[in-house]
Amino acid sequence: MATGKVLYPLYQLGNPQLRIFRPNFFMTLVRPGVSQPEDTVQFRISMQMTRVDVKNYLEKIYNVPVSVVRTRIQYGANNKRNHKNQKVKKPDYKVAYVQLGQGQTFQFPNLFPEKEETPEPGSVEDIQKQFMENERQRQTADPRRGGVTNWFGL
Amino acid sequence: MAAALCRRFFSAVRVSGVLQAPPGACLSGLTLNLLHKNSTKVEPLYQCKFLHTTLSRKGLEEFFDDPKNWGEIVVKSGDEWHAKHLRNKSNEDLHKLWYVLLKEKNMLLTLEQEAKRQSLPMPSPERLEKVEKSMGRIDLVIKEREVALRLLQTGHENPRPGEWRNDFLGRTYWYNSKEWPIPWYLNKKYNRRKFFYLPRVEHFIRLRIEQHLKKQARMKSLEKKKQLLLQKKFPHLAAQSQN
Repeated sequence: MATGKVLYPLYQLGNPQLRIFRPNFFMTLVRPGVSQPEDTVQFRISMQMTRVDVKNYLEKIYNVPVSVVRTRIQYGANNKRNHKNQKVKKPDYKVAYVQLGQGQTFQFPNLFPEKEETPEPGSVEDIQKQFMENERQRQTADPRRGGVTNWFGL
Repeated sequence: MAAALCRRFFSAVRVSGVLQAPPGACLSGLTLNLLHKNSTKVEPLYQCKFLHTTLSRKGLEEFFDDPKNWGEIVVKSGDEWHAKHLRNKSNEDLHKLWYVLLKEKNMLLTLEQEAKRQSLPMPSPERLEKVEKSMGRIDLVIKEREVALRLLQTGHENPRPGEWRNDFLGRTYWYNSKEWPIPWYLNKKYNRRKFFYLPRVEHFIRLRIEQHLKKQARMKSLEKKKQLLLQKKFPHLAAQSQN
């Protein structure tokens, strides 16, 4: 269903379980602020999702064995003010702590590792780097003076 | 990127009930790259380099991009799916594509949140918009097909029954029915709503109509004035456009 107000069919006791064909719910894997046990994965989910939904979502779509899910709602603060002195609300969101089954573990990886940049010869970056290196070499004092400044003549 | 997509596509096929292949075995040959129309490279599955050999993150790996792209500033991605291309796909294909896009969006959201956490710029944020637009277009195409089928079978366009009603201020609007467990005559809140207007409101309906007509006339005269101005400024272009 599209974003916006979605009307689900009325549920009365004894009705079959509602199935959705193309779920419009997304889950964001987040790095936990407080250190969690090895088998726990932390997600930010839609406010309408329940722990049963999260379990089914991960098992059916991602094929991840889930043993238990716990959820809580994080209140977004309303104390910041904008240039008109109006209060600006940070949105509320639901957090799900998923414990993986079958003894699996998960460690949040480093998604921004430092990469060594080797500029290709002839490119602008390479010429710039060369120029800066030459400048730096020019600025340095004569090594034969042994660190003595130019103030001392000769 | 392409490697992750191959994996995702085959995992989507797996979800639909096909026998699960062991993680070591790879399917050689043609791999269908459903995600982006004009992708740069299509790698067969056996060339994918996995991050690890244990099964612990087999599923959760899909929340992250190809490890080669970690730390890059710009990640190249292809074109988004357009409606005219999606209309040529079968319902099954659209269903599978929806899940591929869903997983891609989850991955991008994870990346966005981590970038915010590390105070670093997210690499190529336009991918999120592309995925969202493609998903919206899939919705559109499926809605079109549903509407067509419903028209043929029942003669109604919209899935919810409704009718034109007047409110207590004399305005006419499309009232969409709602599903209730009790009949309408037992619904206290509904019975308090007035779907008719008293004779005193007719005067205000006339005023409203007058307002609407005046606004229309104003817009029309503004258009005419603009046209005249353009003609005066650029007479040679007016002659060209007439020809």
